[in-house]
Amino acid sequence: MALNPMEQFTIKPLIAEPLFAIAGHPIYFTNQALLMIIVVVASSLFLTLAVKPGRLVPTRGQSMAEISYEFVANMIHTATGEDGLKFFPFVFTLFMFVLCSNFFGMIPGSFTVTSQIAVTLALACLVMLIVIITGFAKHGLRFFMLFVPKAPIYILPLLVVIELISFCSRPISLSVRLFANMLAGHTLLAVFAGFVVSLGAAGGLLAPLSVAPLLLIVGILLLEFLVAFLQAYVFAILTCIYLNEALHLHDHH
Amino acid sequence: MQEHAATTETTEAPKKEGGFPPFDTTTFPTQFFWLVVTFAFLFTVMWRLAGPKINAAITNRRGTINGAIAEASKARAEAEAAQAGYETALAGARSRGNALAEETRQKLNTEIAKAKAEADSKAADAMAAAEARIAQTRETAKGHVKTAARDAAIAIVERLTGDKVSAEDATAALGN
Repeated sequence: MALNPMEQFTIKPLIAEPLFAIAGHPIYFTNQALLMIIVVVASSLFLTLAVKPGRLVPTRGQSMAEISYEFVANMIHTATGEDGLKFFPFVFTLFMFVLCSNFFGMIPGSFTVTSQIAVTLALACLVMLIVIITGFAKHGLRFFMLFVPKAPIYILPLLVVIELISFCSRPISLSVRLFANMLAGHTLLAVFAGFVVSLGAAGGLLAPLSVAPLLLIVGILLLEFLVAFLQAYVFAILTCIYLNEALHLHDHH
Repeated sequence: MQEHAATTETTEAPKKEGGFPPFDTTTFPTQFFWLVVTFAFLFTVMWRLAGPKINAAITNRRGTINGAIAEASKARAEAEAAQAGYETALAGARSRGNALAEETRQKLNTEIAKAKAEADSKAADAMAAAEARIAQTRETAKGHVKTAARDAAIAIVERLTGDKVSAEDATAALGN
């Protein structure tokens, strides 16, 4: 039994025929689409149904919803200040989408939406688009001062180039970080699972050795839960930091 | 593995170019489409429903708690005011009581003094009256002694001489 650890990242249509086509590109209903729908429906239902505004003592579900709300609100507030709170719905959506995608991906046999570079890159580009629009809307052409740090004049050209490169590489670093983390974790789990199977199948003296990769899987699985949360957090906090720069340039850090 | 990939390629609708699924660009339109749909849906829910709802829950609770704290501190202030009022009333009553006691004592003292003075004067009067009576008695007694002396003198003169001396003469003869 040859297990391909990359198999789990394959996007398979659940309905063989394309639903329709956009500009000549066929759109399928895929396993990833199903997971995305599950993610957004589950998080929407959870965050709306678990909460009753009149409840003085929250239930467990409401408490969790409120904690995630306040977690993101505090994150935005500390990273961008008071005027960043208008981005709350966006950052909250981003955080919940990535977090739930990561966690739903942990269910065996499901699909990790965020293990696709197309998804993470699209999200990162959306973030940068909003950052750029915010920057120009707030500061106009002065937004370009973002690339001009306070430094002696003779070193400035070099710094401007560095700042430009760093700014342009942000969508890539933002998307690749999330994508690679999820991809690597799930690949690692699949590889070790393959070891368990092949050692077990080898039989004889090798069979008891299959316990070792199994134990490793348990450890990595725990680590993956941490990574699932951490990457969602990192994605959200970096979004806040970029938004802060768009809002305040280099005025106060 | 190559064979495996090749067989799946023919059965699955999106054509795969290489062995690494995330870089299979034929799936990108589908991925973008579903991402836009689901993300937009979630954003709308967060923006219009979940966000305001959770915010209302948190604000409500904060309001209720702050209201309760304000009410509690008000009640505490009231209790403290009541305590202070009680203490002033108590102090007033105590001082009034003291004043009353002092007044009563004063009054009693004056009454006692008055009664004592009255009694003293009565006693002095009684004493004076008694002394007067004693003096009178003494005078009367002295008078009696004179009469007795006169009578005796008359009797003596009569026995010796046989003459009857009048009382006036006897008195004059005796002198004082």
